[in-house]
Amino acid sequence: MLQVQEVGYGYGHRSWWRSRSESDFVLKRVSFELESACCLGLLGTSGAGKSTLGRVVLGLQKPHQGQVLFEGRDLYAAGGRLRKTLRREVQVVFQDCHSSVNPLMTADQIIGEPLRNYERLSARELKRRTGELLEQVGLSIDDGSKRPDQFSGGQLQRINIARAIALRPKLIVLDEPVSSLDRMHQSLILDLLAELKASLGVSYLFITHDIQAAMTLCDRVAVMDRGEIVHLTDSPDSLRDSGQTAVRDLIEAVLPEHPADRLTLF
Amino acid sequence: MRETNVLEVRGLRVGLKAGEPAELLQSVGLSLGRGRVLGIVGESGSGKSLTCSAILGLLDTRSMTVEGSIRLNGRELTDLPGRALRRIRGKEIGCIMQNPMNAFTPVYTVGSQFVETLRTHSRLSKAQAREQAVRSLESVNLPEPDKIMKRYPHQLSGGMLQRVMIAICLCLRPDLVIADEPTTALDAVNQLQVLRELERLKTECGTSVLLVSHDLGVIAQMADEVAVMRKGEIVEYAGVHELFDDPKHEYTRMLLQARPRIGKEA
Repeated sequence: MLQVQEVGYGYGHRSWWRSRSESDFVLKRVSFELESACCLGLLGTSGAGKSTLGRVVLGLQKPHQGQVLFEGRDLYAAGGRLRKTLRREVQVVFQDCHSSVNPLMTADQIIGEPLRNYERLSARELKRRTGELLEQVGLSIDDGSKRPDQFSGGQLQRINIARAIALRPKLIVLDEPVSSLDRMHQSLILDLLAELKASLGVSYLFITHDIQAAMTLCDRVAVMDRGEIVHLTDSPDSLRDSGQTAVRDLIEAVLPEHPADRLTLF
Repeated sequence: MRETNVLEVRGLRVGLKAGEPAELLQSVGLSLGRGRVLGIVGESGSGKSLTCSAILGLLDTRSMTVEGSIRLNGRELTDLPGRALRRIRGKEIGCIMQNPMNAFTPVYTVGSQFVETLRTHSRLSKAQAREQAVRSLESVNLPEPDKIMKRYPHQLSGGMLQRVMIAICLCLRPDLVIADEPTTALDAVNQLQVLRELERLKTECGTSVLLVSHDLGVIAQMADEVAVMRKGEIVEYAGVHELFDDPKHEYTRMLLQARPRIGKEA
């Protein structure tokens, strides 16, 4: 469904006397494929290029090398109407749930916005659809009239998820959707995401630095380190046996579940 | 007996003045011995950070009522005037905030803020303070401390800034460090490094740490005693081994079960 081919991306200026060299690139010839109804985890430390890759896949940043194909069509070559339909198929949930909603809009308006943009619905029909979506993500219809400051982080993230699934997309990019939540809400949101994936048949590109979350939700995991995919596996459980240093560092940094298993810090 | 504890909080109550009288903290009591780590856990909104602000004397007494006693090394903090409190903050109580980006001023270099803090609390010349700052940055394993001194906060990563903050604490050698979610914004690898530096601060300077976190992994790794908070109250207060082996309160049990585990069975 999604093919990312040899994508390179670099930040910073390029000017006439200095072309962008390979060392400026935060993504270095990254390639992977994603089938439908599959969850691919992108795992790595901060600065590995996970989020940049996510933004490239979303169509927000044009890569300087390579191309992104969505169902065989080049995401960045598409214009006009085709671009609009492609946009509809790829949705996103960001880490910071507060800054991804307009504080002046009610939950109904937030969730209804993509529907208003893409479908001609009567006011009553719109209300019904947003109500359904709210219930689908575990909130109640009455929550629809509330504004973002009346929700907790976990509830707000549910609203973001409802907005993402409103148009029945084929792919959702989840950019650290649970990192800012506490452990209890993390596992509740992960459960919800797994449930939605099963019921809607949607694919996820799940960006995270939490190896435990990746192992819980993902079917395949790609480990990124300094702009490259260093490890790609079909069974997340085999991550533990990987010899890659990037993977080992992440595993060794998992904190103990019990004070008796404390790590020796120095 | 009482004087041996670095921090002794008794019957701390915080309420709102405006509108309907609301109790935000209900009779919170804590005690923390020298070189010990007290963990405070609880979900968002349970009053963890409010307790920290109250101890630091940062609550706005025009809109909030603060009652109870807070003793630092046997000295009552609640009656102290603002001037004396300012001398204590930083020098005797160090503080490591959740969001390191907000803890620094974006318009000055990290070095100038470091030097300013050192010179407010001790009689040092600029050159001496500078030298001490560089040595301190070196000791928290930051690469090229001379360069970091000249950087602005946005040029450093969250983990690096957090370590700069710990470096400031190392210099001033406070008796008590309040670490309010020090690793929540960081990825697993950086989290481990920050915890390592905190551990060092504790063993090398004999500093006591009040560690607020919603991550039970962090608590299991670091804490000696744990206070579980919920809705402005401490519902359980126990040694860390006792709490993990035999949680007494219903809520604690729920928190312990909510942790995602490696593998699919969770």
